[in-house]
Amino acid sequence: MNITHAEAFFTSTQTTEVAIRNSEILTQNRADDAGVGFRVAVAGNKVGFACTNTLSEKAVLEAGEKAWAIARVSSEVPNFVLPDAVRIRKVGGLYDARVTGVSVEDAVDVAKRTIDAAEGFDKRVIAKEGRVMFMFGWRGVVNTLGVDCEEQETRTMLYLYGGGEQNGEVTSSCSDITLKRTADLNPEMVGENVAKKVISMFKPKPIESFQGTVVFGPEAVSYQLCDVLVDALKGENVVAGRSAWARKVGETVASENLTITDNATLENGFASRSFDDEGTPSQSTVAIRKGKLENFLHNATTANALKTKNTGNASRFPGGLDMVRMIVGNGYRAKPEVYPSNLIIQPGNGSKETLLAEMDKGVLVEYMGGFAQAGSGMISAQLSQAFYVQNGEIQHPIKGGMISGVAFDWFKQISGIGNDLKQFLNSVVPSLRVENVKIIGA
Amino acid sequence: MFESLEKCLQTRTASQANLVQLRGQKRTITTCTVKNGVVEEFSNVSLNGVSVRVFVDGKSWGFSSTNTFDSEGVERTLINAIKLAKASSKLKKQRIRLAPVKPAAADFVLNVKKPLRGFSAEDIVKIPLEANRGAKEAGQQVAEAKATYIGIEDDKYFLSSEGTKIHQNTARAVLYMDVIAKSNNTICPASESLGHTGGMELFDKTSPQSLGKTVAQKAVRLLNVKAPPSGKFRVVVHPTLCATLLHEAIGHPLEADLAMSGGGFGNQVGRLVSSKLVTIYDDGRVQGGLGYFPYDDEGVECKRTVLIENGVLRSFMHDRTSAALANVSPTGNAHAWDYSVEPLIRQTNIGIEAGNYAEEEMIEDVKEGLFLEGTFGGQADVNADFTFGFQSAKRIKHGKLAEEMRGANVAGNAIEVFKTIDTVGKEAVLRPGACGKFQFAIQGRVVPAIRCEIIVGGMGE
Repeated sequence: MNITHAEAFFTSTQTTEVAIRNSEILTQNRADDAGVGFRVAVAGNKVGFACTNTLSEKAVLEAGEKAWAIARVSSEVPNFVLPDAVRIRKVGGLYDARVTGVSVEDAVDVAKRTIDAAEGFDKRVIAKEGRVMFMFGWRGVVNTLGVDCEEQETRTMLYLYGGGEQNGEVTSSCSDITLKRTADLNPEMVGENVAKKVISMFKPKPIESFQGTVVFGPEAVSYQLCDVLVDALKGENVVAGRSAWARKVGETVASENLTITDNATLENGFASRSFDDEGTPSQSTVAIRKGKLENFLHNATTANALKTKNTGNASRFPGGLDMVRMIVGNGYRAKPEVYPSNLIIQPGNGSKETLLAEMDKGVLVEYMGGFAQAGSGMISAQLSQAFYVQNGEIQHPIKGGMISGVAFDWFKQISGIGNDLKQFLNSVVPSLRVENVKIIGA
Repeated sequence: MFESLEKCLQTRTASQANLVQLRGQKRTITTCTVKNGVVEEFSNVSLNGVSVRVFVDGKSWGFSSTNTFDSEGVERTLINAIKLAKASSKLKKQRIRLAPVKPAAADFVLNVKKPLRGFSAEDIVKIPLEANRGAKEAGQQVAEAKATYIGIEDDKYFLSSEGTKIHQNTARAVLYMDVIAKSNNTICPASESLGHTGGMELFDKTSPQSLGKTVAQKAVRLLNVKAPPSGKFRVVVHPTLCATLLHEAIGHPLEADLAMSGGGFGNQVGRLVSSKLVTIYDDGRVQGGLGYFPYDDEGVECKRTVLIENGVLRSFMHDRTSAALANVSPTGNAHAWDYSVEPLIRQTNIGIEAGNYAEEEMIEDVKEGLFLEGTFGGQADVNADFTFGFQSAKRIKHGKLAEEMRGANVAGNAIEVFKTIDTVGKEAVLRPGACGKFQFAIQGRVVPAIRCEIIVGGMGE
């Protein structure tokens, strides 16, 4: 069977990491990895994938042949296409040469300063777990339709989980993360942020069950709430009719104050890129404008299936909890799927405090455990870092308890959006205030 | 593989370290996902490489990995590792002790009835296709059926400057089945998996077709039932959900690294920490368990470790570092997902010893409660606070199972929940599991049903 389409995607990375554990530097790691993944399609749009990180000519040829052999026994992928070659405009701020010059000693210093900042802020704080990462590498894709692009990039990350102890009382852990493209991590800020969160968690009290207002902090938004958005916006889910918003383009799906954009061209954005992982040029796509659904996110195949524009959202570094992805890894090890680059919720005017000040009775959720249910958007999450709010003021941290509801309903009940934008792996989001949420006391 | 590792150990650079551990790996993963009868992803992933872990100045670790494994590449990686280790040794005041181990030599090849290697791409694709056909038999309301086959073949090579030399060959096969049933605006998911350390004989007992059908029938059934209530209930937890609860919320706090960072079980060895009916162990030698390992990634032999005995905390799961701190022998729990990452303290096959009760007996004296079944996973922190999804429930009324209900979440503190256990089922089942503690792992769980009190976050009345 003849090959109709073929594509090679390759990455090469050098990553230096320093791990923090229990107030100490635990270990220093460096990982060098490089590999290539082939997608091969034969007549009838049957597609196979194989990859290798052994970069001898023999091993690479073998991988290509395995992809071909797999394609022959595979079944048709309806509407399968690869993107055509289009001129690519470089996105700025994705590479900082200084990152390549960072030594292990520098990384250790960042880790040490983070611990000191957290524990120096208040004696009750313990830096429990953290990581400093400096990565540089490149990524490229070529296909039989003439796509041939590559890009260098740097990524840096610092996160810390901290806990508190006072007279035998142990707080649940609180974290802060900073994700950047430059070598300028700010360990003092991260350490201090974690410490402030930790000391606010002492003496939690249980609450009664009630229906009330909830302010979700950026971290809570970036996690479960964004997962629900991604699930509804992903091209594959729309094509399969699985997205809750599948037939709702043009309809109001959220409160009027909600505007959401996927922007892969955001300068310095952690998930920005000049081209997606199939080689389609990056763009900015409005998904929801003032509560109205405008666009879904697509790669070449899902856009072809719906005869709509490819939004350049093919990703080989998707989030989520797909078992195959977790087992094989990402990058050259995986075929692309639709995933947001930087999913941006347009910020409001007021601070989080302003959002709280207008509240009668409710809860501030900075972090919640658990997952949203795929498809339905149902969330029932444990309140692991949450505060009871009354008459516009935080009263006390909450012990135990859950909130539950359907995120798609919550999006329609948004009564306020904060100006406290924060960058996460695939999102840039502020605090959201939602009315009429079911809060379950412990 | 051993040749380039041995060469590296003999270099002058290697002698700068107190300890050098070299790990080589050749891994092939085949994954095949079929969704609604269409092969959605069929991949062959070949990952090979070497890592070097060094311990220097009696107080500092360095770890470096590479995707090359010629002698030159390995030695370059060793140099990196030493540089990394030295970088923090000046900052470290405390010396680290490692629990001593006897040098081991082993060449282990897993005895497999139907080796994965003997199955062609054509044979493999039939497995998830057949599971899909099974699911479709459950009727029109099956909106989505997704079956994923994963086969992992490993050759792992461990060599240390203490004289340990171990080769381990293993194979693992797993089949995940996820179904979504739909009618009008109602969506109901259900899922289940099969998995073991071994070959394709995995499907001799349960065929892919019957797995697909069972899961799909459940999803369809749930379309026509109500959501469960919310509040605190006396519940019987089926092994499928008990496995998640045990692993996430009890297992993790029993890992020495998490326990020593002030987790829920810290400093309580010898004390009563759970119901007296509960005995919990971890055992890397459970035949067929997905967490079956003859040796861990520090070259320590895996064995059965009793963690909680009749409610009393006996031991944590240890690596060589934590074992030395606790003055005990290492328990064989230092595992790395692959060559490219450092070993961490991980569960292998964690289990609860079976009790005396049949399922009916666990239900018969519950006046008002719930029977919770299936898992959608979830999460827990080191203090054992958890949230997990269950797939379905049945109401228990006056000692009898009443109507079926949909899934929702349970939450609480597992240590507190386990104190409320008042009966343990008499049949412990071996189940496949997975974990994402900093790096991925696939593991086994050996679990009976338990009866306890738990908070349910349902949306019904």
